[in-house]
This record gives sequence, structure tokens and C-alpha cells, in this order.
Amino acid sequence: MSEFAAKKQSDLGKEMSKSGRSVGSRLGTGLLYLILSILAVFQIYPLFWLFLFSLKTNQEVFSASPFSFPQDPQWGNYAKAWTQGHINLYFWNSVWYTVAAVVLTILFASFVTFAITRMYWKLNRLVLGLFMIGLMIPLHSTLIPLFSFFKNIGLIDNPLSIILSYTAFNLPLTIMILLGFYQTIPREIEEAAVIDGCSVHRIFFRIALPLTTPVIATTAIINMIYNWNEFVFVNTFINSDRWKTLTVGVNSFVGQYLTDWGAIGATLMISIIPILIAFIILSNRIVEGMAAGSVKG
Amino acid sequence: MAKKRALYILLSAATLILFVLSGCSSSEPTANGSGANNASGGQTVVKFMHLWPEGSSNAQYTIADNIVKEYESNHPDVKIQTEILGNDQYRDKIKVLASSNELPDVGMTWSDGFMQPYVQGNLFTPLDDVIETNLKDAFIPGVKESYAIDGKTYGMPLELNISYIFYNKEIFENHNLEVPKTFEEFKNVVKTLNDNGVIPATVGNKEGWPGSFWFMYLADRIGGPTILTDVIDGKLQFDDPAIVQAATEVQNLVDMNTFEKGNSGLSNDEAKGYFMNEQAAMFLTATWELPNYTTSPDVDQAFKDKIGYFKFPLYEGGKGTDINSYVGGPGVGLFVAENSKVKDAAKDFAAFFVKEWGARSVTEAGVIPATKVDTEGMDLNPMYTEILNDLNSASNVTTYFDTQASPNVAELHHDLIAALFGKQITPQEFVKQTQDALDAE
Amino acid sequence: MKTVMSNKWTIALYVWPALLLIGCLIYIPLIMTGYYGMLEWNGFGPREFIGLENYSRLMQDSMFWKSAYHSFLLGLFSTASLLLYLAVSLILASKIKGAELFRKIYLIPMLLSSVAIAQLWSKIFDPSNGMINRLLISLGVENPPLWLSDPNIVLFAIFIPIIWQYAGFYIIIYAAALKNVPEEVVEAARIDGATPLQIALRVKLPLISSVFKVTIVLALVGSLKYFDLIYVMTGGGPNRASEVMASYMYGEAFTKYNFGYGSAIGFALLVICLIVTWLIRKLTTSKDDYQY
Repeated sequence: MSEFAAKKQSDLGKEMSKSGRSVGSRLGTGLLYLILSILAVFQIYPLFWLFLFSLKTNQEVFSASPFSFPQDPQWGNYAKAWTQGHINLYFWNSVWYTVAAVVLTILFASFVTFAITRMYWKLNRLVLGLFMIGLMIPLHSTLIPLFSFFKNIGLIDNPLSIILSYTAFNLPLTIMILLGFYQTIPREIEEAAVIDGCSVHRIFFRIALPLTTPVIATTAIINMIYNWNEFVFVNTFINSDRWKTLTVGVNSFVGQYLTDWGAIGATLMISIIPILIAFIILSNRIVEGMAAGSVKG
Repeated sequence: MAKKRALYILLSAATLILFVLSGCSSSEPTANGSGANNASGGQTVVKFMHLWPEGSSNAQYTIADNIVKEYESNHPDVKIQTEILGNDQYRDKIKVLASSNELPDVGMTWSDGFMQPYVQGNLFTPLDDVIETNLKDAFIPGVKESYAIDGKTYGMPLELNISYIFYNKEIFENHNLEVPKTFEEFKNVVKTLNDNGVIPATVGNKEGWPGSFWFMYLADRIGGPTILTDVIDGKLQFDDPAIVQAATEVQNLVDMNTFEKGNSGLSNDEAKGYFMNEQAAMFLTATWELPNYTTSPDVDQAFKDKIGYFKFPLYEGGKGTDINSYVGGPGVGLFVAENSKVKDAAKDFAAFFVKEWGARSVTEAGVIPATKVDTEGMDLNPMYTEILNDLNSASNVTTYFDTQASPNVAELHHDLIAALFGKQITPQEFVKQTQDALDAE
Repeated sequence: MKTVMSNKWTIALYVWPALLLIGCLIYIPLIMTGYYGMLEWNGFGPREFIGLENYSRLMQDSMFWKSAYHSFLLGLFSTASLLLYLAVSLILASKIKGAELFRKIYLIPMLLSSVAIAQLWSKIFDPSNGMINRLLISLGVENPPLWLSDPNIVLFAIFIPIIWQYAGFYIIIYAAALKNVPEEVVEAARIDGATPLQIALRVKLPLISSVFKVTIVLALVGSLKYFDLIYVMTGGGPNRASEVMASYMYGEAFTKYNFGYGSAIGFALLVICLIVTWLIRKLTTSKDDYQY
């Protein structure tokens, strides 16, 4: 790693000397890269660890060092995860619950934030306050009342209960994050649009949404990760196997007395791949966001 | 164009919301847990919930699956609808279901303290009639009683576990150690192992209950086999000198460095790792671990061959003079929901399940069942045969203190055990706080 | 302008769906929680209405206040760590090479579920086999700290994975905010001879201040009701040294069957969050801000 840092440093050095910076500043940048790289190692290590973990036997999992390599890689853990963890069955449920909830959340949150920050009405702060309070309720207090609510409207063991819960519980957070961004959009833009005869819907879909692409991508990532890893709701509101999600597969390896850690590792490893891909695609959208919606310039 | 799209999206969103709200009137045939219903073809549907997922408890899962299939083929008019959850998820969900009166027709429960609120809330139905007709004298004496409240039995036990000190024979041989028969001898073993840089015993006290095994055995050996049960029954106070003595001995063991460092932050699984990797010589645990030392394909044969077990040593001058008195208790049992609409079918199925479970569980899953098993002619690992024989000659099995106590006291006990092992409280504080909680009941 | 942008029907159309959703799924449970808090109830047995008894008991419950104190400490740490995240984000936004890659890498822990994170850090903190203590022992430390079993340090030990886990969450928000800073403004400052540090602190920082304020609220509220990792890694122990409000609530409601009292704790948690948010608002609002 120090090699990597050193290389970076020299690369950077070249660039810096071109622009005629002092030695001190070069050292500073080198140090900066060193720190950034150390942080990077800290943050990427768990993925590597999880991979090793997924190939270990239960005995090795608790053996000496988390660094250690499995003696005899247990690829069978993956087969086990796939069949006994019912990944094949749960995978698509996870995907479509996540996607549906993310789309709904972002759409609703954008509507609300737009109405609160860009439109003129008296109760906007009160409504915002109502959403804010939604941020504060501890999840476990809601389980029993929510269960009886879904039971009364016949949504127990129905995927809608999951999608609606994810949407409702992520709305406050998403609105909060969007809020800071909507405030930075200059009013002149929509003033001009209104003068041009744009309707409100057009302003929302044609101006506000594209302008906020970076933050939409950001909230999409956050929402997606939350929904993907959630299991308390699924576990409580869903009874039949065909509606359960991947996280239930993970927990099915936690036993009454014995827990199959290797298979848990494998399930986690498999389940992280789609989210990793989605994340990389979306996080590129954050960067490209402005270029794509270059209304501002 | 944008307007059109906007309208479309809005409309679909609105429809969705409307759908949710109108959900009250729409009756979903599949989406409903209110006991049983008559599915197509006049079949009786019995909902059954268990906690043996295919992944973690494959053997148990397979047995349960086979029993269900067998029952269905014997009773073509009955359909068993199974839901399977992991252990912790099961515990959480059963509470939520109970709060909405949505318990499955047949489900799993733990004995004593766990089931008490359910029985008081009128959620479980008495099973004495079905036991009388189908399972008379089938259970090992005393086990069924753990599921009885006010003279009625609300659960049919499936498992029974007793605890031993499992030890690594190779480590013992390397240091010329003999299996200790008395607590003094045990302390000498600890000392020798410590002098040789081996962790004498491993225990994980994050959840408290593993450490409680040590405390309960010491209480049994010092104060006699009924002491903890007497406390629960209100015949004795928890601050009895024998219990103080037991707690003091626990801390003496801690002072002697009997246990691995930092055990109060380790889960049972993490602590077990020290034993499985031969860093620790002894592990006081219950018979649910047996597959790891006998049949489990995931564990090295070389390791399994090294593992032996011994009974918790006797305490010099203690009232518990019988080494065949154990700490243990039933694991899970089956309940039938009081408001089940197919109670008779549910009871019949539950009894069938318990009956079939017995012999199969020991041969196929390595579980010690709560029903009597005739080992004659069974091809069993010798350790099982020995333990089943031990069970037959057991003079007493004290049900775990935390299982017997109410959920409140049990939780406090777990916290206090961890604190006792961590030396954050004195034995006197330990007994006093527990007694206070018992008094508050 | 105003007439178009204050069309009542449009506002209703935009706000109602979401409001209805949280009304049913958050406010009903919320009101129920407040009500359950006034019951002596184990979750399914007979209910007894006892008015404010649970709440007055709560006021005198030293364990509750201890857990609240722990939650506040966590809130404090999380808020302080925002500065670190912000610093990293500002560095990454200053057009250095590989910034994109670094940012992506920093987000990885966030993708992992709590099960995985808890496993990983339990291994790192293991008293004798763990990574940290092996390192310390090899450096000659004789009695390295027992991270998760020493009541005096467990709380601080467990903050480390939490802060580590959330790095990605905030860095990604700041990344989006910094992306929103108009290029021309930065360019103008550069032409005026501002150093990168000055640009970061004097130009970019003020422009993302509204986002920063939002993240303060998120960090505080998130910390006050934090549950996951603490519950899996320590269960609130040892000797309740790492008990936080949410884990205390869960223990009372779900483990000990004191559902009434547990609900009271949940409701109190909500009230505390409200007060804290209100205070933050007071402290940070300037007149051109939307108040939240």
C-alpha cells in the first residue's frame, strides 16, 4: 500500500511541479494521499474479509485471525446459500420491492419537497414538521400497531405491506436530504419558466427533477441500501416463503443452537453483488448529474 | 408531453393509495393468518410455525418436513401450512402475532417463564386430553411438568438437554490431568492448565445464560438439587447463604483465571470458538452441542475424537451429594392456539408430531428428545448411548433458573451473571438484586 | 408567478399521497405508542389503563436516563464525526486525482448489512484473538483493553464501527451537495488568487451550509434512536454499560414483555428527539432558511 501511495505521490509531484508549487505543498499532497489511501484500506477491507469469511468452515470462522485464509475453501457454502437459503426464490422479491419502494419514495419525496420549498402556501412548515417527526419514531415501537393495521386492511402476507412500509419510513429522511438541495435552486429559473407559460407540472418534471439529479441519485443509493438490507418488516408482515426476501435467507442460517456462519457469509456475499453494481451505476449519476441536466448554465 | 407523463405517474400513485385504503373491503384469500380456513376442496388447513430453517438446522428441518408429509398422506383432508423462521425472528414474530391474536394453529414455545404470559393471556389451549389419549407415559418423567401451569399442560415437549463439562482429552493427557471428581480437584486442574498457558475453560457471557450454567451447578452442589426450584416456588429466598456461596465460588473461579479474558463481551458462539480451536480445555454446555463432537460433517474427525465429557464435580461439604443431579431443561415444545378454528386437527397433528419426533430426532438430528427412547438396536454414536443412559439414571434435572423465572427476572439474571463474571458486582449485590426482583413479582 | 405557484389543487396533489402514507403507517403507530405507554400490558394479555404512571416511573428510572445519556454521547460523537466526513468530502471535491474511486471505496461499509458489520467488528475486538489486541500484544502491551467487555470503554469501542459504518452515508450526501456548487463561483475565486483551502472553506462551505445543517439533524436523531449494531454486538452489556434508549425499549417491550412500559420509552425517545431538533433549529436557523 505504501508503494501505491508513493507512486501516487510521485505522479502528483509531477503534476504539481508543472504548476510550480513548492516542495512543502508537494509533501502535503503526498501526505493527503497517504491518509486517503489508509482510509480507503479501512473501508474496503470488509469486502475482502467477507469473501474470505464466506469460504470458511464454522470452525475456521472462530479460529485465530480474521486475516487468515481458509485452508480448504468451502465453495459449497455458496451452493448451500443458493439452495438452502432459497436465494433463487428470494432474490427477485428483494429486487422488485427495493426498486418499487425507491421509485415511490423519491417521487413522493420530490413532490413534497417541491411543494414545500417552491410553492406558496400557508401550511408548508407544518407539513414539513409532520414529515420530520416521522424520522423520530423507533422502529420497534411501530411493529405491533403496524401489524394490526395491515391485518385490518388485509395486507398481511402481501408484498404491498412491505413496499408501502419502506416508502413511508424512508420518506422523512429522503425529504430532509432533498430539502437542502431544493433551497439552493435559484427562484429566477422557475420565474422565467412561468413567464414562458410553463405549468407547475412542467416545472417540476422538466426543471426541478433534472436539476436535482445528483441528490436524487444520492437518496436512491441510500434508500436502496436500506431497503435491500431490511428484514424486520419482512419477517413480521410476510408469512409465505414466496414473498420473503434475501435477508430472510441470511437469517435462516442462524439456528436454535448452531449457526452456519460460512453460509451466512456466502449469502451476504451473493446479496451484496447486485447492490454493489447498482451503487456504482448510481454514484456515477451523481457526478454526471449536472452535465446531464445542464439547465443551470 | 411531460404533462401527460406527470399525470400518468400521479394517477398511478393515487390509484395505489386508493387501493391501500380500500384494502379494508378487499378480502385476500391468502393474506390472512386468522387461524384456519377451509381451502378449496373442503380441506382443513392447519398452520404450523417452527424454527428449524433448512439452512441452519437441516436435520431437524428434514425430519419436520417428513413428519408433515406423512401426516398429510395419512389425512388427505388435512393440509399443513408451514412457516419457518430463524430462532430470534421466531421469538419476535410470535409476540407480534400474539398481540393481534393471530397465532398459528400449532407452533413452538419454550417452557415455564416464556409461556406463562401466553397462558395467562388465554392464547394456548390445554393439551391434557390429547396427551392422555395419544402420548400417555411417553415423556421422560418431569419434562412435561415444565409446560404445566396450574395443573394443566399447555405444551408438548420435543427436546431435553442436560449439561456437562466437555473437555479436550488430549490437553488433559498432555498435562497429566485426570477428570476431576470434586471441586477441589477441579480447581487443581484449572491451576495446572493456567500454569501451562492453556485457557482452562471458555464461557461467553454477552447473553449471560452460558455463565449461569456455572452458577446453577455450584448452587446445586452447594445447596442441594432443589435449591433454585425452591427459590422460584417461594420456599426459599435467593439470598440463602448457599446461593451467596455459589456466587462467591463463581468469582473465585474468575479470580483464578479459569475463563478466557473478556468473556463478558463474547457471545456463546464466539466463546465456543476457543474450545473448537483447542485454545480452551473445557466448555460447560448442554447436549445440543453433541453433533459437533460426534456426527457433524463440518467438524474434523480428529477433533471429535479428542472430546470427552464429565459430570460437574461435587462440592466438599455441600448438600448436593449426588453427581447424577443435572442442570438442564426442555428446549422447545409444541403449543396449540386457543382460538384455532381447527383445534381438534391441530391437537391431533401436534401429538403425531411429538410422537414421531422422538426416535427420529436422536438418530437423524442428534437431538435428545423429551420422549422416552429405546436405544436397543439403534446405531448410535457411543456418546449418545452413554448420555441417554445417564438421563435414565439421573436423580434430578434442575430446569435452568432463567427458564423457570419470569421474563423480567430471567433478563435481570442474565445481566447480573455477566456482571458477576466481570466482577462489577459482589455476590451480595448479586443475590440482593435478584431477590428484590423476585419480591417485586 | 405567485398564482401559478400557489395553485391549491396542485399542492394537494403533490402533498397528499405522501401525507396519507405517513399518516397511516407512521402516525397511527405513533399515536398508538403513546397510548400503549399508558397501559399496563404485556402485549397480548389483559390491558389495564394506568394513565401517566409509566411516564412518571420513567422519569425516576435511572436506567432510562443512563441509556439516554449513552444515546446523547453517541449523538455527540456522530455530530463531531460529521466534520471529519465533511473534510474528506471537501478534499475529494477539490479535483484531486482518483477522487471518484476514493469516494466509491469509502461508501462500501454502508452496503453491508448490520449482521456482517457486527461479525467483522466482533472479530476485530476479540479480547485475545482479535486484530487490535494481537497488534497491541505484539507491540508489547501486556494487558490490552478488553474492548467489548470492559464497561468503562465498551461504549467508546462500539462508536468506532458506527462512525465507520456511516462514513459513506454522509460523504455521499456531501458529494451531491458539493456537486451543486456552481463551477463559475469556484473559478472566480481561483482567479482572485484563493488557495484550494480558502476555496473549500470560504466558498464551498457556506454554499452547502443548508445541507450541513440537515445532516446535523439526521446525525442527532439517527443516533438517539440507534439500535442495530449495539444490539447485535453487545446487547447493551456488559452490565448495561452500552445500553441506549432504543435497545432499552426493545428489551422491555420484546424480551421482558413490558409492552406498556416499552412503549412509554419509545414515546419518550420521540419527545426527546423533538426537543433536540427544536434546539438545533434554534441554534442554526438563519432568516433565509426554511425552518425545519
